[in-house]
Amino acid sequence: MKLRRLVAFAFLLSSVTLYADAPGVYALTGATVHPVSGPAVANGVVVIRNGLIEAAGPSAAIPPDATVIDLAGMHVYPGLIDAQTSLGFAAAPARRGFGGGGGGGAAARAQTERPAEPTPDFLAVRNANISDDDAEARRAIGVTTVVTAPASGIFNGQSAIVNLGSGPIESRVIKSPAALQISFNPRSTWTYPDSLMGVVSYIRQTFFDAQQHVAATEIYGRSPAGLERPRESAALDALRPVLRRDLPVVFVADSETMMRRAMAIAKEMNLRYVLSGARGGYELASELKNIPVLVSVKWPTAPGDKEEREEQPLRVIRDRQLQPTTPSVLQKNGISFALVSGPGKAGDFLPGIRKAIENGLSAEDALRATTIAPARIFGIDRQLGSLERGKIANVIVSDKPLFDKDAKVKRVFVDGREIRLPADDRAARDEAAAGAASPIDGTWALTVRTPEGNVAIQVTLRVEDGKLSGTFSGDRGAGDIRGGSFDGTAVDFTISAQNNEAEASDWVFRGTVSGDTMNGNVATTLGSFEFSGSRSK
Amino acid sequence: MRKTLLALAFALPLFAQERVTLIRNATILTVTNGVIENGSVLIRGAKIAAVGRDVSAPANARVIDATGKFVMPGIIDTHSHAGVEGSVNEVSLPNTGMVRIQDALTNDDISAYRQLAGGTTAALILHGSANAIGGQSQIVKWKWGRPVSEWIVPDAPRTIKFALGENPKSANFRPPEGQQRQYPATRMGVEEVIRKSFTDARDYMAAWDEYEAKRKRNETAIPPRRDLLMETMADILRGKIDIHAHSYRSDEIVMLLNLADEMGFKVRELQHVLEGYKVAREIAKHGAGAGTFIDWWGYKAEAYDATPYNVALMLRNGVLTSVNSDSDELARHLNHDAAKAIKYGGVSEEDALRVCTINAAKQLRLDHRIGSIEAGKDADLVIWTGHPLSTYSRVETTFIEGEIYFDRQQDLARREANRKEKEERLKKEADDAAKTKKERKP
Repeated sequence: MKLRRLVAFAFLLSSVTLYADAPGVYALTGATVHPVSGPAVANGVVVIRNGLIEAAGPSAAIPPDATVIDLAGMHVYPGLIDAQTSLGFAAAPARRGFGGGGGGGAAARAQTERPAEPTPDFLAVRNANISDDDAEARRAIGVTTVVTAPASGIFNGQSAIVNLGSGPIESRVIKSPAALQISFNPRSTWTYPDSLMGVVSYIRQTFFDAQQHVAATEIYGRSPAGLERPRESAALDALRPVLRRDLPVVFVADSETMMRRAMAIAKEMNLRYVLSGARGGYELASELKNIPVLVSVKWPTAPGDKEEREEQPLRVIRDRQLQPTTPSVLQKNGISFALVSGPGKAGDFLPGIRKAIENGLSAEDALRATTIAPARIFGIDRQLGSLERGKIANVIVSDKPLFDKDAKVKRVFVDGREIRLPADDRAARDEAAAGAASPIDGTWALTVRTPEGNVAIQVTLRVEDGKLSGTFSGDRGAGDIRGGSFDGTAVDFTISAQNNEAEASDWVFRGTVSGDTMNGNVATTLGSFEFSGSRSK
Repeated sequence: MRKTLLALAFALPLFAQERVTLIRNATILTVTNGVIENGSVLIRGAKIAAVGRDVSAPANARVIDATGKFVMPGIIDTHSHAGVEGSVNEVSLPNTGMVRIQDALTNDDISAYRQLAGGTTAALILHGSANAIGGQSQIVKWKWGRPVSEWIVPDAPRTIKFALGENPKSANFRPPEGQQRQYPATRMGVEEVIRKSFTDARDYMAAWDEYEAKRKRNETAIPPRRDLLMETMADILRGKIDIHAHSYRSDEIVMLLNLADEMGFKVRELQHVLEGYKVAREIAKHGAGAGTFIDWWGYKAEAYDATPYNVALMLRNGVLTSVNSDSDELARHLNHDAAKAIKYGGVSEEDALRVCTINAAKQLRLDHRIGSIEAGKDADLVIWTGHPLSTYSRVETTFIEGEIYFDRQQDLARREANRKEKEERLKKEADDAAKTKKERKP
C-alpha cells in the first residue's frame, strides 16, 4: 500500500516535467524527414494534430493553428519500437502460482506447487510499473514504444505494447496482450523443472494440459450429465488463444541450439511464434523462413582479463564475433526481423545497433528493424512504425542521422505530446555503467575445509546483465560454474566437483563477499563445509 | 527462384552419385568375422559396401592406403554425459521420466571431437543418477560440426536411466536451504519409488483404456490428462523404452531384476554394475547386459567390492558385457580399458574388442547398424596406426557413415590456420577496445 502511494506521488512529480497535458498541433519543418514508408525527404514537413500524424512529406501544408517548430539541419524519424524489454518488472517478481491441469502423478503435483513466478494468465499490462527514470532513459535514445513482459520464470505471461508517454498506463497501451512469452529458465534446485531438459518437458506438458483442458471443458459444456466436472484453471484458459494461433508465442531463445529447441516445441504444438534473443541466428538463417525474429543487440563482450581471453577456444571467440552479423545475415536471407534491446540496458541499444551496422546491416535496414518491422511482427503497423497520415504521432528528432555515433536525440513526441528530455545524458551514463566492473569480478582462491583436509578451488567470476558466471579449477576438476547469483554481498554458485570418482557431484557455494575476501558454506552430498578465500591479484 | 532451380539441376547428379571410398592394405579387425590381413573396406555413401581381401573399387573412388595400419569399427560408449546443455540431472523429483536428454543436446561440446580422436563414434547419453528413475536418454553419433538433430540416431531405441543405491538416496540427504528433505533417502525407498511408478502407470493405462472403450460405445467421455511421465512409464511396460540402470551392489541388482519380473518389464543394461561378478548368472538369466568400468573402484562405499576381473567373470558367465566411460576423458581411450580385460582375467583378444564395439551395440539394440565391420552396416570406421589394443597406437582417421569426422593429418594441418585466426580475432578485439576507450575520453 505504502509502495503504491509512493509510486502515485512519484508520478505526480514526474508530470511536472511534461510540457503539455493536451496534445497540440505542431508542424515540424526544415528537417530531413525519414518516414520509413518511403525515401528520406530533405526539408520536409510533419504535421501532428490530436496525437496523430496529420501529414508528412515534402509539400505538406502548414496549418494556420499549428505551432511551427523549425528543425533545420535536424533529422525526423518515427519513434523507435523496442520489441523485447522487461521494462516495469523487477528481476524476479513474486506472483500468483500456476493452476495446473488435472490428473495425478509427481509431475502434476510439481506443476501445481506455486512457484513465485509469472504464469500464462499473467498480464504484463496489469503489473508493469515503468519508472520515470526507465521511460526517460528509453526516450533519450529515441525509443517511444516498448513491448514488455517479465524476464523471469518459464511462462513469462502475456506481454503488452505501451507508449512511453505521459498519463496512466491504460491510456498508453497500444496492444495487450501482444504475445505469450516463454523463456527457458530452470527453477531453483529441487523445484521442478530445475534443468533445461526439465524446462522443455514442462512447457510441452503445459501445452498438453491446455489441449486437454480445452477438450474437457468443451465436452462437459455440451453434456455435463454423468461426467466429472473439469477443474477451473485460469492459467490453462489463458492458453486457449495460443492454441488457436490467435495469440503468438515469443520464445526467448538466444543460441542456435536454444532457437532449435523453441522451433521444435512450436512445431509439435502448432504455434504461431516469434524467436527472441536469437543472437545465434547467423547459424540457421536459412531455416527461419516465415519465422519472425527479434534480435537482441546486447552483443557478447570479450573477457576483460587478457589471459582469460587468450585461453578461450577459437570457436568461442569466433561465435562472439559472428553474432553481430546476425542482422545482416537475416536481411540477406529475407527474414522478417527487428532489433531489440532484450536483456540490455537503454544505453546498450544504439551502440548495439551501430555494431550490427558495422557488421553489414545498412542504416536503412536498421531503421526498418526498429520501426516498421517490429510493428508488423506484432500487428500494429497500421498505428505505428512510420510517419504516415493517420498513424500515432510518435516522432523523434535527432541532430544527426540517428545511428551515427555522436547523434543525439533532441526532441521526442509521444502520442502527439512533446516530452522534455533529461538535461543530462542518462543514456551515456547508463552506457558507462553497463561496462563497469562488479565487486565480485576477478579470480578467487578458495579453501574448503573438509574432514579429509583442505580442498583448494580457484574460481574466476564475472557479473554480466545481473548474472554471475565464471569458471572453476583446482582439486575438484575444472569447468563452468552454474546457477550463479550475486546481489552485491551474497554470492551463490554451484560447481560440478570431480573427485577421482566415477560421477561428479554438485557443490553449492553460498557465501558473502566483503572487499577482497569471501567466505561461507559449501553444501555437498557428503555434508556442509566452511569455505573462505580471497581475491588473487 | 530460377537460381535455386539451376543450383538444384547441378546438385542432382552429385546427389545421386554416392561417394565411394576404398581403404586398402589394412589389417581389418571385423570383430564379428575375425581378422583380415591385407584387406580392404569399400564404403559407398553411408554404408560399408564390401569387406575382404579382394575388393574392387570403381575408378572414381577415393583410395586410402592403410598399409601397416589397422581398421576397426567405431568404439561405442554406452555411458556418456557429454553434449548436454545445462544440468544432466533434473533433481527435483524421485522420478523424472518425462524429461529427455534429446531436448538439451548441444553440438558445442568439444568432448565430442576429442572422442572422435580416440576412435569413439557413438554413445548413449544418459541422464544423471540423482533419481531412482531419471530422464530419457539419447543414442547419438558424434557428428562434430553438424547440428544436433543429425547426431541423433533416428531409428535407435528409446532409452531411460534408472539409478539404484547411494546416488539416488544421498542426492536427497541435504536439501538446498529452506527446502524439505526429499524422498527417497534409503535403498528401500528407491525400490518403492520404482514399484509405485509402475503401479501408477498401470492405473494410467487403465484410465485410457476405459476412455477408449467408452468412445467405442459412443458414450460421452472426457479424455484423461496426457501425462508425459506416466506415458514414459507405460511405454516401458509396453517394451518401447529400454532401461539402462545405474547399479553397484549385488543385492540391489537382484532387487531390480526381481522387481522387473514382478512388474513385467525388462532391464536392457546394468550400468557400472561393479558387483556384477557376484550375480553374473542372475544377470545373464534375465538377459540384461552389463556396462562396467575395468579398474575403477573404492571411490565410494558401494564401490569397495569391485574387481578388475569383473569383465572377465561376467563374460565367462554369459553376460553381454561392455566397458563404458561415464567420463569425457575415459571416452577418448576406451580401447585401453578393453585391453585391460586381457590382463585381468585372460579375456581373448576377440572378446576384448567386442566389449567396446559389438557388445555395446547389442546393448543399445543397434547391432544391425554398428559394432562390427560387415557389408551393409554403417561405415563407422577407425584407422589406427597399430593394433588398437596397444597403448602405443593412435587414431589416424575416424569415419561416421562414410564421412571423415576426424583426421590426424588434417587436424595438424589446420592448427596453424586456427592459431592465426585466433590471433587475428583477438587483435581485432583488442584494437576495437582501445579505440572505444580513446573515444570515451574526450
